Amino acid sequence: MRKIDKKVADAYFHARVRLIGVLLVIWFIVSFGMVMLAETLAQYTFNGFPLHYFMGAQGSIIVFILLLFVNAYISDRIDEKYDLVERKGKVTKGKSFQS
Amino acid sequence: MDSQFLVSLLLIVASFGLYIGIAVYNRARQTSEFFVAGRGVPAIYNGMAIGADWMSAASFIGLAGTVMVLGYDGLAYIMGWTGGYLLLTFLLAPQLRKYGRYTVPEFIGDRFQSKTALVIAAIATILISFTYSIGQLAGSGVVIGRLFEVDAKIGVMIGVVIIAIYATFGGMKGITWTQVAQYVILILAYLIPVIFMSLQITNNPIPWLSYGNVVSELGALDRELGISEYFAPFDTASKWQFMALMFSLMAGTAGLPHVIVRFYTVSTMKAARWSGAWALLFIGLLYLSAPAYAAFSRFILMKQVAGSPIDALPAWTEKWVNTGLLKMADTSGDGILQWKEIAISNDIVVMATPEIANLGIFVIGLVAAGAMAAALSTAGGLLIAISSSFSHDIYYRIINPSATEKKRMAVARWSILIATVVAGVVALNPPGVITQIVAWAFALASGTFFPALILGVWWKRANAPGVIAGMIVGLLVTLTYIFLAKFGGFTILGIIDTGAGVFGAGSAFLTNVLVSLSTKPPSQKLQDEVMDLRYPEQLSYKDGEVWKDDKVI
Repeated sequence: MRKIDKKVADAYFHARVRLIGVLLVIWFIVSFGMVMLAETLAQYTFNGFPLHYFMGAQGSIIVFILLLFVNAYISDRIDEKYDLVERKGKVTKGKSFQS
Repeated sequence: MDSQFLVSLLLIVASFGLYIGIAVYNRARQTSEFFVAGRGVPAIYNGMAIGADWMSAASFIGLAGTVMVLGYDGLAYIMGWTGGYLLLTFLLAPQLRKYGRYTVPEFIGDRFQSKTALVIAAIATILISFTYSIGQLAGSGVVIGRLFEVDAKIGVMIGVVIIAIYATFGGMKGITWTQVAQYVILILAYLIPVIFMSLQITNNPIPWLSYGNVVSELGALDRELGISEYFAPFDTASKWQFMALMFSLMAGTAGLPHVIVRFYTVSTMKAARWSGAWALLFIGLLYLSAPAYAAFSRFILMKQVAGSPIDALPAWTEKWVNTGLLKMADTSGDGILQWKEIAISNDIVVMATPEIANLGIFVIGLVAAGAMAAALSTAGGLLIAISSSFSHDIYYRIINPSATEKKRMAVARWSILIATVVAGVVALNPPGVITQIVAWAFALASGTFFPALILGVWWKRANAPGVIAGMIVGLLVTLTYIFLAKFGGFTILGIIDTGAGVFGAGSAFLTNVLVSLSTKPPSQKLQDEVMDLRYPEQLSYKDGEVWKDDKVI
């Protein structure tokens, strides 16, 4: 165990929170935002679909999946930047059932 | 015995032989393995297991039919059940993994240092999982009943026996790898008919690209008939109901105990993030296909079935009319079956469409095997959640803390067996249609666990009185609204019973915050534990300072 500068640890935390905040704003726009605008979007078509239907049936879900992979990828980069790469197979810190 | 029966039965027996074989092979020996599979499952397979756990009878059997009947309004289920994974993966899964407890109630009990909170959470887990599993067993009953042409009740009983055997003896280790096999079978069973129908109708083997024009054409057919267009928004319910339902399903997803427990099976925070991403990719395959399935089914019904003479209907119609879930009556008396004269239940669309589209006995059998996998795999995950809540959170932590491992193991197995049988008895006469029962379970999860977990992880000031009051108020508000909306005709902004979770979650958040602020803050130790969740697993927070454990690097 060695001490880490609290500022560094907090910078890490804030980088993670900023990332999550940005991703959740996009998440909100493609889900609730698209529903609120459904009547307007209905005037346009995309790939044969009325646009509001496309967003509900495909667009939002594809964005959700991409956001999760973007989060996993960028979080890994943040971990690397702060030299916090986790190795597999370590014993978890939490209390174990047997102990 | 016709060849369809033999092929369907063979496919179901072969697939279940595979699942049970894997479960027996991996038969759990240690209690810790029984609950979280030794925490060594790679992210991509864990993603598939989450997918199989997730895709229940409601998703596989009910979803496409719901979208077909509700049109655009049915898409709230599609967005809600996928969008919730973002809340789960971003806001809860990595932190819950780091905290390192085995079940959600245990997390709540330790985070708030309160046995009362633990017991309330355990009861809520049992209530939610039990409600949900009733829908699954009822779904398996319909499939088995159709197959053997016996009453759905006998089908439920057969399903109960199968699930009890492998959940009791396999534990989660068996189930994790079993779930991977189930995922593969059920996704194939869902995609093959959609792809065949896409080829049949549009000559394009990629349904996701081809069905847009079919949707537009359905709208044109509706205009000709003078009914509202298939894709017209907010046709069956208000915009507020759409958003309330979507929120309730998202928050419920993030708070569902049997899904969260899956994130305990990976070894690192990083693996938890990747598991969530893979899970949604695998789940998304089905959710992207369900509206295509719905559009093709409706198209075939409108173009090929409607308009035929009433006395020359295809052979499959009689079989389904006999189940009482399909009604075709020539009410206008012109000798022709009109579209408006067909009444099809949501729950048979997925099962009946391969027959309607004449996709052949192999595809029909495969869909039956996939539907069974969907119903029973989710039931497996739910029953494990019930069993661990009871044996671990209530029995071991409260009733008998000195129980030996062998004794706890026995309690876990007995509680699975009892829960299965009781859920099966209720499923003999289900209190509603599958999707409705499942939506109630989500509303309950969003009213109880979602606020408790979010505040527990992200707000160190949240304390035991706050969480206890929050969970109780959330549970009561959700239950009351469901009953008032369903039986009393009481609604706010047109929000019906399935959207009740938005009120439950709102009141629970408010109560938790107000009560927490007006009572003593939690001990410094508990606040430090919450601070600790800000950092990855090898960093720990102690006395205002952050320490790095180099041994694990």
